[in-house]
Amino acid sequence: MAVGDEPAFFRQMIDSIVDYEVIRLDEKGVISSWHPGAQHLTQYTAEEAIGKPITLFYTDEDIVEGKADAELRAAAETGRYETEGWRVRKDGSQIWVSVVLTPIRDPDGSVAGFVKVAADLTEQRQQNLALRAGQQMLDGIADYEVIRLDSGGVVRSWNPGAVKLTGYVADEVIGRHVSMFYSEEDKRGAVAEREMAIAARDGSLEAEGWRIRKDGTRFWANVMLSPILDDDGEVTGFVKVARDLTERREQEQLVQRQRDEILELSTPVIQVWDKVLILPLIGTLDSMRAARLTESLLERIALDQAEVVILDVSGVPAIDSGVARHLLKTVEAARLMGTASILSGIRPEIAQSMVHLGIELGGLRSRTSLKDALQLALRMVHAGADVAELVGPRA
Amino acid sequence: MRMGPDLLVTLQGDLDDRAVEQIEQEITDQVARTSARAVLVDVSGLAVLDSFVARVLARLVSMVRLLGADATLVGISPAVAITLVELGVSLRHVNTALNAEQGMVRLRRLRDGEASRWTSHDDHG
Repeated sequence: MAVGDEPAFFRQMIDSIVDYEVIRLDEKGVISSWHPGAQHLTQYTAEEAIGKPITLFYTDEDIVEGKADAELRAAAETGRYETEGWRVRKDGSQIWVSVVLTPIRDPDGSVAGFVKVAADLTEQRQQNLALRAGQQMLDGIADYEVIRLDSGGVVRSWNPGAVKLTGYVADEVIGRHVSMFYSEEDKRGAVAEREMAIAARDGSLEAEGWRIRKDGTRFWANVMLSPILDDDGEVTGFVKVARDLTERREQEQLVQRQRDEILELSTPVIQVWDKVLILPLIGTLDSMRAARLTESLLERIALDQAEVVILDVSGVPAIDSGVARHLLKTVEAARLMGTASILSGIRPEIAQSMVHLGIELGGLRSRTSLKDALQLALRMVHAGADVAELVGPRA
Repeated sequence: MRMGPDLLVTLQGDLDDRAVEQIEQEITDQVARTSARAVLVDVSGLAVLDSFVARVLARLVSMVRLLGADATLVGISPAVAITLVELGVSLRHVNTALNAEQGMVRLRRLRDGEASRWTSHDDHG
């Protein structure tokens, strides 16, 4: 290549650059060359730009502050100056650019001008800000653990909520497998791996279970696991959101225990005589109480080998078809075990309404008073044949 | 197992089609051969008592009755009783008892009652 071709060659090279602005300034900062990349960035044409001072692109505040001169001076003194900042385009819109200024020196060493390379980082800046906002958001979440795992389950990010929840700081967990928070049993059962597989398959997973803190104590965690997908839909990692539900779980268990105790109290089975049980029913029978009642009665029958059970309904306000069905089921189950039942305490209005409702009690014996029912029960126990007839085949 | 004029049959484990066939054959043979008056079938040892097994038991009772004996099921546990009721299997025409002893007493009383009814009938007639 001839020496004389060199400027033309550089010209061509620079003209082919469209994503960057690469221009020459004179020693005072006046624009002395232009190219398509510069036009793309600033929207000015060569005619509009060449001969203009570099402040053409500066914001009013930067001009007032004399920023352009300061930057050129700094570049001349240090040999290179880098900065980022807002610049104004021809249409008045602003772009965020990164700028590198390099002085061009004469053979005698004096500054003859500058090369300015600039790139539009507006979009990148927005992404960075968004990222930072996202990070700040995560850092602001103190009551939830919000962390990122890679596709293999290795912890890749950590937040203050996670510190609070587990007691571990970021350095202790990043790069380690998420199963470190699981109990030994869950580790052996590969629970973490299973959860990730389900989340990847179903698009998310909600689970609850015991997790272990740094100090060895455990907490009841509610965990949401969602896969992070790339453009091809491949799982590249997981977002894990967890919170401590230990207290809520304890409260729920307390409520459950109290409910059990109340049920226990509300379905007492009393042994009144050898082989005779009384089940006094009080209040409204819902299906849960009825199921519990059947269960406890049958268990008691097995325990005491009771031959007769008296179901006293004088404390039940009304017998509708639902309650009647429950009673009949209980009677039927008792019969299968070999125990006869007697209904007692049916009031006249209940008798009327039951018949009007079409409730059929089959061969179940009924007495209006508990005393009569008990007498009948004792007779049945003493004359086993009677029981056999009652318990046995019904025509 | 034989107890006086009664037979006690204890069913255990799983009942499949073959076992059922075998049991039916053995029991009917035994009842016919010993002229047993009553059969107690203890089901407390069965692993499962579902609608299939319940049907098998009902069938067994019918067969025994045809051979002139009474049959009683003993040893239905609370859980099984609830399951059968929920399944809608009532075994309505089958005698039940809490245990073998009670079952035996009931069968005997039933028999005595029948006998006395016959006697009284004869007296009047």
